[in-house]
Amino acid sequence: MKKILVICGTGVATSTVVAVKIQEHCASQGIQISIAQGKVMDLVRGVEGYDLIVATTPIPESIKIPVIQGLSFLTGIGVERTLEDIVEAVK
Amino acid sequence: MNAVLEQISQIFLDLGASIALPILITVFGVALGQKFPKAFRAGLMIGIGFIGIGLIVGLLFGQVGPAAQGLAARFNVNLDIVDVGWPASAAIAFGSQVGAVAIPILLLLNVLLLAVGLTKTLNIDLWNYWHFAFIGGLVAATTGNFLMGIAVACIAMILTLALADWAAPKIQAHYDYPDISFPHGTSAAYALIASPLNWVFDRIPGFNKLKADPDSIQKRFGIFGESLILGFGIGLLLGLAGFGLDEPRADIIAILGLGINLAAVMVLLPRMVAILMEGLIPISDAARAFVTKRLPGRKFYIGLDSAIVIGQPAVIATSLILVPVALLTAIALAPLGNRVLPLVDLATIPFIVALMVPIFRGNIVRSVVGGAIVIGAGLFIATALAPSITKVAENAGFQNETGGLISSLVDGANPMTGLFYLFGNMGWLGIAGLAVGSLAFAVWVRIRGNARVAAEAKAKEPA
Repeated sequence: MKKILVICGTGVATSTVVAVKIQEHCASQGIQISIAQGKVMDLVRGVEGYDLIVATTPIPESIKIPVIQGLSFLTGIGVERTLEDIVEAVK
Repeated sequence: MNAVLEQISQIFLDLGASIALPILITVFGVALGQKFPKAFRAGLMIGIGFIGIGLIVGLLFGQVGPAAQGLAARFNVNLDIVDVGWPASAAIAFGSQVGAVAIPILLLLNVLLLAVGLTKTLNIDLWNYWHFAFIGGLVAATTGNFLMGIAVACIAMILTLALADWAAPKIQAHYDYPDISFPHGTSAAYALIASPLNWVFDRIPGFNKLKADPDSIQKRFGIFGESLILGFGIGLLLGLAGFGLDEPRADIIAILGLGINLAAVMVLLPRMVAILMEGLIPISDAARAFVTKRLPGRKFYIGLDSAIVIGQPAVIATSLILVPVALLTAIALAPLGNRVLPLVDLATIPFIVALMVPIFRGNIVRSVVGGAIVIGAGLFIATALAPSITKVAENAGFQNETGGLISSLVDGANPMTGLFYLFGNMGWLGIAGLAVGSLAFAVWVRIRGNARVAAEAKAKEPA
């Protein structure tokens, strides 16, 4: 099972929106994932143990885990495309 | 009309937010076309989030109270107002009389403003309507007039949308987010303050040349970004200062206990808000679909949470430095009348500076100085508003047995909260003044924006 870390400014507000949408989509596709949420300030000193980061805010360059931008979840524009990218990354 | 409203708001107060909000959210969801089970589940989640936040705020009070008393007795530093932070402030706001009806009313107002073309931002970030509900809730609680609270919340929304439109071109250019604006109740007001500050900074010889590098700051101050370490560290320091070491065994246990409990508050409080948030998502989605279907083909800015710019290196670096600065400022200003000890909102400083940074063109030195000025001044606002915030919290069902006062940096220390509270309490005349000022600002932003669009169109024409 792949682990996804959803990151935003608070680790609460926008990341909850994104996490819920990813969870629903993956469940409907029959893909098992585990999702955690976090805030970007926690990443400043590094993070490990995740296969993918989905972020609604820029991520420090020092992070080596693949990152997908999740802004589309908030604007509602291009959500399908982002979900496809995420599914592709965790398959 | 007023009598009916007062009846409704009295019923609401009697029920308490954790019962009333689930009912209201369910009704609102069904009205927006959701199926009953989904709307009901969302409503229950919001009620659960409320109860969770109440529990953690109770824990925070019980822990910090004795230490703050010790601090006052031992050092004569009177920082007895607990900063319960934005998670509790948001819950208090939605749990207030005004908060209960804020989402539908403010959403309609936003659609109306777009339809008449006064503002350009569609604020789809329903969660952050709490900032307006917070201002309105404070005014409703102190004036005892529900309609005044609603009016003030609506005017705060108009001003914030206008501020978002005003700042949008600068922020879009700096952060490269096309067609997005930030009608965020906390961040937007500070963007306006940053503008004259930047003008002043430009004119201070020497200072106007200073720069700092975000990467090295992130490495050195990174520890201040981690909520659990921050909570634990502050708990230890506060414990040591408040309890002393006169009885080593008992005091060390008390100090360690305060450390782990404050770390717990810093981690658990936002988690509780995530539950509240989860309940709000279906409503937020339904409302967005509802509005975009009715405004087809209109060009507008999409108004988002300023959380999305917080990962910018300059915002992170500025916020990390401001954590110790805010604490030291609060202690230094205590003799001058500040009584707020920054705690939970030390993790929320990024929202205060998020939209100041682009106005300072990403300059960290300026952002830190500007941030310290607004936080320092804000502490006095937060102190002045504490009795009202505590009252609204009690109305919303947050029991506080210790009888102490609460406040917050976000939005208790916000200049916009302070200004609206001041005018709102002058009665309808003051509220009319707020309305005229806010509308005038919106019109000015609109005329200025139109002129810029016309100039750009002209520049594109072949000579």
